[in-house]
Formats: sequence, C-alpha cells, structure tokens
Amino acid sequence: MNATVKVRVERERASRGGLMTPGRWGGSALGFLGLFVFLVVLAQSAMVVQARPQDLITGAHGMADILRRAMPPDFSKLQSELWPALETVDIAFFGTTVAVLLAVPLAIMAAHNTSPGRPFYAAARSLIALCRAVPDLVWALLFVTAVGLGPFPGALAVSVHSVGMLGRLFAEVIEDMDMGPVEALTMTGANRLQVFSHAVVPSVLPSLLGIALYRLDENIRSSLVLGFVGAGGLGFELLTAMNLFQYRTVSLLLVLTFVIVILTERMSAALRRRIG
Amino acid sequence: MRTALVEADGLGMRYATGRLALDGASLSVAAGEMVVILGHNGCGKSTLLKCIAGLLRPTAGQVLVAGRDITSLSGRALSEARMAMAMVFQQARLVGRRSVLANVVCGTLGRHRNVTSALGILPRTERQHAMECLEEVGLAGFATQRAGTLSGGQAQRASIARALAQRPAALLADEPVASLDPEASEEVMRLLRRISSSDGLGVICVLHQPELARRYADRILGMRQGRVMFDDTPGAIADRQMQALYEGVVIQGLAA
Repeated sequence: MNATVKVRVERERASRGGLMTPGRWGGSALGFLGLFVFLVVLAQSAMVVQARPQDLITGAHGMADILRRAMPPDFSKLQSELWPALETVDIAFFGTTVAVLLAVPLAIMAAHNTSPGRPFYAAARSLIALCRAVPDLVWALLFVTAVGLGPFPGALAVSVHSVGMLGRLFAEVIEDMDMGPVEALTMTGANRLQVFSHAVVPSVLPSLLGIALYRLDENIRSSLVLGFVGAGGLGFELLTAMNLFQYRTVSLLLVLTFVIVILTERMSAALRRRIG
Repeated sequence: MRTALVEADGLGMRYATGRLALDGASLSVAAGEMVVILGHNGCGKSTLLKCIAGLLRPTAGQVLVAGRDITSLSGRALSEARMAMAMVFQQARLVGRRSVLANVVCGTLGRHRNVTSALGILPRTERQHAMECLEEVGLAGFATQRAGTLSGGQAQRASIARALAQRPAALLADEPVASLDPEASEEVMRLLRRISSSDGLGVICVLHQPELARRYADRILGMRQGRVMFDDTPGAIADRQMQALYEGVVIQGLAA
C-alpha cells in the first residue's frame, strides 16, 4: 500500500516537475500574477461561503449551552444503541467484502498487463470510474429510494463506491507488479490461469489485503454518515436524537462512534503491519 | 557428430520498424554440448535466443526442436513444443514471497495443467524432484526460505533449479551472469557447464565476457549485425577474431 502510494506521489511530482522548478518561478512576473490570482480566488471563496468569524464568537454561548445539556452522556441508553453500532460495523464489513470480491476481477481486466483485451479494459475502467465518481452518500440515497430504509441500502452503497476505489488501486498494484516471474512461468509451459495463480497472485496479494483493510477502516467511518440518509446504523440514531433534542443521547452516540473508529483504525493498522 | 537437439537454420528477423536484427543466422546444439553466443549490444544475439525459444517468430528460416519446426506453431502446440527448452534470464525472476522450493516446483507446472494447479496449489508429487534440482544447484539447505531473501548468485542458481525442474532437453540462458559479481558468475558458469556435461543437456548461453566463453564453452558463436561471424571451438578462434566482434562498434558509434 505504502509503496504504491509513494510511487503515485513520485509520478505526480515528476509530471509537475517542469512547472515547479525554481528557475521558472523564482521572483518572475508570472509568479506574482499566480499569487494575485490565488488571492482573488481565495477572496471570492470566502464571500461565497459567507465566512463570518464573528458568528463563531457570538455563537459560542449557544455551543456552550448545547455542551452543557449533552453532559453527561446518557449511558442508560447504551444497551439499546449496541445493535445500531453493530449495524454500522457490519454495513462496512459486508460492503467491503462484497466490494473486494467484485473489484478483483474488475482490476484484472482494468490493468493493461493482465487485461484479456481492449474492450474488457475499456469497460472495466469505465465501470470503476462510474462507481468512484458518485460518492457513497449519493449511492445510499439512490438505494434507500430503491430498496427502502435500513442497513441493506447502506451496505449496497458502501460496496458500490468501494468497488470503484478498490478497483483502481488494485489495478495499479497489478500494473506495478514485477512481470519477470510471469514471463518465466509462461516459458515453463504453464497456461494463463496457472501463471496467474502462481506468479501474479502471490506477488500482489499482500498489497491487495493491505488496501482492502484500509478501505474497511474508511468504510466504517462512512457507514456512520450513511445513516443520515436513512441507511441504518448509528448515523440514523444520531439524526433521530438530534431532531428530538436528546443531546445526552447524542453525546453517548458520539462516544460510541469515537470508540468504534479508534478501535478499527488500530486493528486495521496492526493487521496491515503484520502483512507487510 | 552428435545429432542436434535444437537447430536454427538461416534465421532472419526483420522488426516492424524495418530493422534487420537477424540475417541468415544458424546455430545448433547437441546433447551435452554448451554453446556460447558472443557479440556487442544489438548484434542480434538475444533476438536469436528469443527466436529459438519461440518467444519471437522469425521472418525467415526455421527452428527445429527434436526435429520439429516450431516457427509455424502457435498457442498450445507451441507452448508444448517449447517445454523441451527451459530458459534462464539475466534476472532470476523468482516470486520473492514464496519459498525457494515453491518457486522450483513452479517449473513443473507445464506438466500439470489441471484445475488444482490453476487454483494456485502446487503438485505435491513434484516436491521430491524439485528437492533434487535444488541439491543439484547446491541450495537444498535454502528450500524453505523465502526466495526474496536469497543473494543474487543464489537466486540465479534457484532459477536454474526451476528450469531443471521442467525436465528440459536444452537450457537457454540469456546473459545469466550479467548482473552478478565475478565470484557468483564463476559459480553459475560452472553450474551450467556441469548441467551440460553430466546431465547431458544442450546449453545455449548468451554472454558478454569472451574470457568466460573461452573457459566454459564447447563452441563459441560470434555475432555481428545479425550475422554469425564464426562458430567454432574456443581453441580454434583467434583473439583477433574475438576483438573484431567488438571493435567495429566504436567506429559505428562515432559515426552515428
């Protein structure tokens, strides 16, 4: 995982290298023009978002009031919130697993060194791009409309968006793979499938697992938000509690969210270290 | 005269770019014989080896493997005919995360084209044979180690073991010592020599070092601009002939 990210960063750096060299920037009129344009764009964005820092100061009183009403967290609700918490974790787990199963064959078709042919490559790349381009929250909205409220549309949204994210990263790992063993095994008379399972799979599997674990970690965080559009889990509870002004329940839910996020982050990081 | 295992006859190779890489090149290797191909970069020696291995299709001439012309074959027939030849490359090309033994067993996959091996399971029946191949190259003690932990020379010997596991009649080596230190190079050359003399394999080896060629080859084939300049025993080749392979390059380089 780290290796591929590094490779990509280097690549991007290399492709931009031409503009960033000091010889072309340093103190030139072009540099000042660039700075001026940047400041203009920044100013217009501040106006568009209606940035008013003074509101933060006048709003501090209201914030303090909410915080006071939210303390202490209502731990009596803990038991009833465990189920939604499980739902949140499971939406991510189920969604990620399904996404990995779908992303692997797609990535094989979308990597130029393993793709069975030009049409497969183009089709796989477009499908991956479509899944990625639409945010999971939007997928969730669509699926809630299609299959109704509950955790299932959440899991569907997570897996469709993840197919796009994973498909692209998996394809990059396959493309960056050392082709030496592939050619060597082809020469021994092994067929395509054998070459794939004995040379490609063992070389890329650790990176793929690392990426999948990282994705699971991200999906747990996004499945918390998916509840806001009715796709089950803690997000839905949070929305309900907010609408009913039950701030002590809200703070309990935030504590639960915090614990889940930290735990999964730690676990996924530890597992990834063991694979590497 | 021993009968040839592999015989290339009048090979011509013109790339799509129009460059003529091979011009009537012929070569034969018999069982137990070691032929070294010498020549400067771009003289066509690797192209010749690739044509013989069936990785490139020559535009003229034929390649006879056990008396059968492989240049007209394709697909499965080609890969089956090719199994009589094993190949060793400049890099060892092992799967670094798998054990040395697993890498060697992979050499036998051509004989086990079935569902279990397609699922990534190695044929158990070949373990014994693979161990023998590892013993042959002196790496039996490294069998369970990850291939990625081997040194350059060890990795190259492991790749030779994988080639042997294929049970080939001929071994093709494309600059097998080009990225090794002198000591490891000698070791690999000694191994290739022994495989040829003791096991009776025909060995074709592309090299860059005339000095190594002189000491290990039965025959040396000198190539220049796609043509075979000489093909003789090391003793019959004068130093001047050897130098002539490389000399022209400098002038050519300056002219270009």
